[in-house]
Amino acid sequence: MHAFRVLALSAVAAACLAAGAACADPVKIGVIETLSGPQAASGQMYRAAARYAVEKMNAEGGWNGQPVQLVEYDNQGGPAGAADKLKAAIADGVHIVVQGASSAVGGQITEDIRKHNLRNPGKEMIYVNVGAEAQELTGEKCHFHHFRFSGNAPVRTKALVLAMKQSGALGARVYAINQNYSWGQDMEKAVVDTASLGGYQVVEKTLHDTNKIQDFAPYVAKIGAAKADTVITGNWSNDLLLLMKATKAAGLKARFGTVFLDQPGNIANGGELTLGHYIAHAFNPEAAGADGQRFVADYKAKIGHVPTFIEPQTVFGLAMVADALKRVKPEGGKLNVNALAKAIETAKIKTPMGEMSMRAADHQALLPMVVSTVARDARYKADDTDMGFRPVKVFSGAEAAAPVQASCKMQRPS
Amino acid sequence: MRSNSTLVAVALGVLLLAGVPMLLSQGLVNAAIQMLIAALFASAYNVLCGQAGMLSFGHAAYFGIGAFGTVHAMNALGGTGLLPTPLMPLAGAVSGLAIGAVAGWFATKRTGTYFAMITLAIAELLHALAPHLKGLFGGEAGVSAMRMPAMGLNFGSTTQVYYLTLAWVLASLALLYFYTVTPAGRLALGLRENGHRLRFLGYHVHGLSVLVFSISAMFSGIAGALQVINNEAANYVVFDASLSASVVLNTYIGGVKVFLGPALGASLMTFFGYAVSDLTQSWLLYQGILFVLVMMFMPEGLAGLLGLAAREQRRLGLARFAPVLLACVAASVLLAAGTTFVVELLQRMFSQDYRALASANAAAPWPPITLLGHAWLPAAAVTWLVPAGLLAGGGVLLLAVRRRLQPAQAESEPAAHAPAPLVQSPGGAA
Amino acid sequence: MDTLLVSLLNGIIYGLVLFMVSAGLTLIFGMMGVLNFAHASFYMLGAYFAFALQGVLGFWGALALSPLLVGLVGAVVERFFLRRVHRYGHAHELLLTFGLSFIIAELVKLFFGNFPVNYRIPASLDFAAFRLGSSDYPAYRLLMGGVAVAMFVLIYLLLTRTRVGIVVRSAIYRPRMAEALGHNVPLVFMGVFGVGAALAGLAGAVAGAFYTTNPNMALELGVMVFVVVVVGGLGSLEGAMLASLLIGLITSLAVAVDATLADALALVGARAWAEEVGGLLTLKVSSLAATLPFALMLLILLVRPSGLLGEKA
Repeated sequence: MHAFRVLALSAVAAACLAAGAACADPVKIGVIETLSGPQAASGQMYRAAARYAVEKMNAEGGWNGQPVQLVEYDNQGGPAGAADKLKAAIADGVHIVVQGASSAVGGQITEDIRKHNLRNPGKEMIYVNVGAEAQELTGEKCHFHHFRFSGNAPVRTKALVLAMKQSGALGARVYAINQNYSWGQDMEKAVVDTASLGGYQVVEKTLHDTNKIQDFAPYVAKIGAAKADTVITGNWSNDLLLLMKATKAAGLKARFGTVFLDQPGNIANGGELTLGHYIAHAFNPEAAGADGQRFVADYKAKIGHVPTFIEPQTVFGLAMVADALKRVKPEGGKLNVNALAKAIETAKIKTPMGEMSMRAADHQALLPMVVSTVARDARYKADDTDMGFRPVKVFSGAEAAAPVQASCKMQRPS
Repeated sequence: MRSNSTLVAVALGVLLLAGVPMLLSQGLVNAAIQMLIAALFASAYNVLCGQAGMLSFGHAAYFGIGAFGTVHAMNALGGTGLLPTPLMPLAGAVSGLAIGAVAGWFATKRTGTYFAMITLAIAELLHALAPHLKGLFGGEAGVSAMRMPAMGLNFGSTTQVYYLTLAWVLASLALLYFYTVTPAGRLALGLRENGHRLRFLGYHVHGLSVLVFSISAMFSGIAGALQVINNEAANYVVFDASLSASVVLNTYIGGVKVFLGPALGASLMTFFGYAVSDLTQSWLLYQGILFVLVMMFMPEGLAGLLGLAAREQRRLGLARFAPVLLACVAASVLLAAGTTFVVELLQRMFSQDYRALASANAAAPWPPITLLGHAWLPAAAVTWLVPAGLLAGGGVLLLAVRRRLQPAQAESEPAAHAPAPLVQSPGGAA
Repeated sequence: MDTLLVSLLNGIIYGLVLFMVSAGLTLIFGMMGVLNFAHASFYMLGAYFAFALQGVLGFWGALALSPLLVGLVGAVVERFFLRRVHRYGHAHELLLTFGLSFIIAELVKLFFGNFPVNYRIPASLDFAAFRLGSSDYPAYRLLMGGVAVAMFVLIYLLLTRTRVGIVVRSAIYRPRMAEALGHNVPLVFMGVFGVGAALAGLAGAVAGAFYTTNPNMALELGVMVFVVVVVGGLGSLEGAMLASLLIGLITSLAVAVDATLADALALVGARAWAEEVGGLLTLKVSSLAATLPFALMLLILLVRPSGLLGEKA
């Protein structure tokens, strides 16, 4: 379909040249995700959510009378492939790049876009980060054209700790086990930093190899020996599932506070052992009221399944971009990307979970967080099982926010 | 006569490559840069594998070492770089050579499967340690750098990077080719054929193996450096086993017996990945099928296929050869179309979203699937007859072509009956 | 003390799971001289077939039938793919199996999707065998270990005490002579390949319920299996058992060790210097738990390439 899109774009461009200056350049949004290979599962979900969001934008009129165009690129699983596809996107005239599945890819894209913008003033691009949650992206690597619309480690941990403390599930002894890369290290630091707020003691911290370990029993033995009440982990995919299975197999009674328990397949595969554990995530339809139910029904009708995991945050993030687009007037028929960036900085929208706004200092969105627990009486079931996520506490964007990092020194265009 | 026409062909090729930025779009120029880098990597690998007969499974290690050496050189001296940008690949060459010599010294102590396993172990060890050594390898976001202007050019555009890459790749390929015609390069063939005999003739086999390994590692390092100059970043995923595997596959698909074979294979497979990965989700399946087909039916690789075509054309004459060629092409197109149709149909049928839609509506259990702008009903016979017809047509044409080509197969059979073992049998510890 | 016992048991069981998968691989290598890159894919197929059949035949039925299906797939692969490529040399066979592993992984993703599937231990087997210290020991782990040991004993007896086994061993050492004596050597090859694949399939069916069943299973286990086979000795069954136990124990016990090289250097009073240098010297053994097997593999290859119990050339 990429070839067809290029053809269509060229046809539109040709028609515009013929019609004269009244015709506008359509806004092009490029999704650069892992759409094939071992990590394709999340990438395909980001793409589905982006498709839904762009369809909605076009249903509301597009931009300047023209539909917004979505182009999809497969980064073939890694930062090198992402760098290649970014160059293809630049060649195709994409204005906005959307990505979220991996912090490594996010790091590559943000740096490449920064360098491109430096070298090509007047032809800037924006990076809409809907899921790469490493701290450095709004820290050392922050720059004017990057916007993050998902949470990050301190935000998730703060929400998790406060909610679990309120429902009495936290206890006094907390074990932090995470993957040994930037995200896991960020989570570990966040757990340590939140100790005084949560009134707990971090009994031990462990970092393990990412996605390499099949047998978590030795780690579970350490957790048992430390007599931990709660385990807080940012693990995802197999690392989370195997850790929880090993904990149950050993008969350990620790409570889990997680970030990615709602990844599709986890509840089905884990089964009853997931009951009673907590997750801090961006969306829970049961806590979102009538608006939320409408959104869920609409998404299911268009895409085929209930929005879950990272899809809602992607849709809301792109809704903020849509809100900013509405406030930007075309200049000579074209989109002024710097003006769009300034508009996104002041964007404020109402999502089913509450108000969402952008913080201009580090371009981190202030989004509501909800902490849920796995229960049989949840209204929306997960993975075709009889269990789902029941909301425990909702935090508004301001309540959940973590402070701006000192390492972010953003240079603004004049 | 032969060498004259080869020179003319090479010159034409170089001219064509030089004209690429003028003829193609920027996106395709970037793809061309990737193809050039892959071609260099595969040619460097072939020096070790095809010529010296040492199948290495961990060659991505030297590509990656070259990459990281270059990125650190680019960041050195406060960002200005140890060398001017056009000379930066030398950093990759030096690092690749250094580590290659050390690793080669250990690895070439054994031969055959054990050699392959040692190279795999070295690469996997590096891959496993890299995430932990953040100072050197920069964690999972990698190390990034910026190309500095030099010689009046700012190296900000893809075109300039393309010409830089082209210059280095052509120079490296020329050097590699001249290496193969030197006595030392010729001796490497002896390593492949009979290492014992070479030892009896008085040559220092271990030293020779280390030399070949180092040269291969050096040029792999240059390829890694070129990738870093293009991407302005190096990431430890470059040590992944899939990169080592892809260079082996590219080399064999191209054909190990011809010098430019691996370059051809690498360019084609890189382009295939670039073009097809955005078109369909199942492109890895097509790539796998392509690998298996080439391994089974084209053991000499694509270069061998081109050689076969040339021989056939001489044997049959152009008039009788042209229809056979057309039939071959038509057969491949039909078979490819049929297979693609079935795979795409199955992929959509078994996807979670389709199954949800199918089970949701009990009245119309199998909703139509949109493919190529047309809605196909899975329950309808025509949906399955179309690919069946395509496959049958392709199969019939293929059988007809095979009968025509039978004598030519017999001609090349004698060579296949006594194959030079590219990997010695197990137990060949030196 | 209890932690040590738990770690030991875990290491042994994990090692036995590795053995189940690598037994077939080492036999196939001993017979054909080619490393079958698709072997871990057979492991994955075993788990997926068991998942698919579970609904129809129940857990035990699926466990029994799925290895047979995988063995059939293995026999087909040998007969129609590998045999054709045999005369072009080992490199081509190797690459063919590599391409096949791609195809199998993608086909699994095509039919079963990208996410892990719901293949779980049946409730009847999901209980604790005994308590060690503060944690339970699940009975299913012991079942996995039991299956592995039974597999080892059966294959060993088959190869050494039965007529079929003697024919197979002779076909491995002297295929032409065995053929001259009237045995159907190609059939033996196909049979051994099929049985090797079936063993991996059984391993997948048993372990897939305990670990997760997802399309990346083959990649996760694949490299470790090679390490086991190389360390144990290519072609040696006993070597594979010894090596898998060794690697299982190392991986399991290393997690409990938080020492670093700097601690070792402290014995000679160089701790401050080591910590200043950083890098490799300050890496904890526990965070390197998954890396140690590769270091072991490299060591064995350099010092004793035929492996711990392999045949010396």
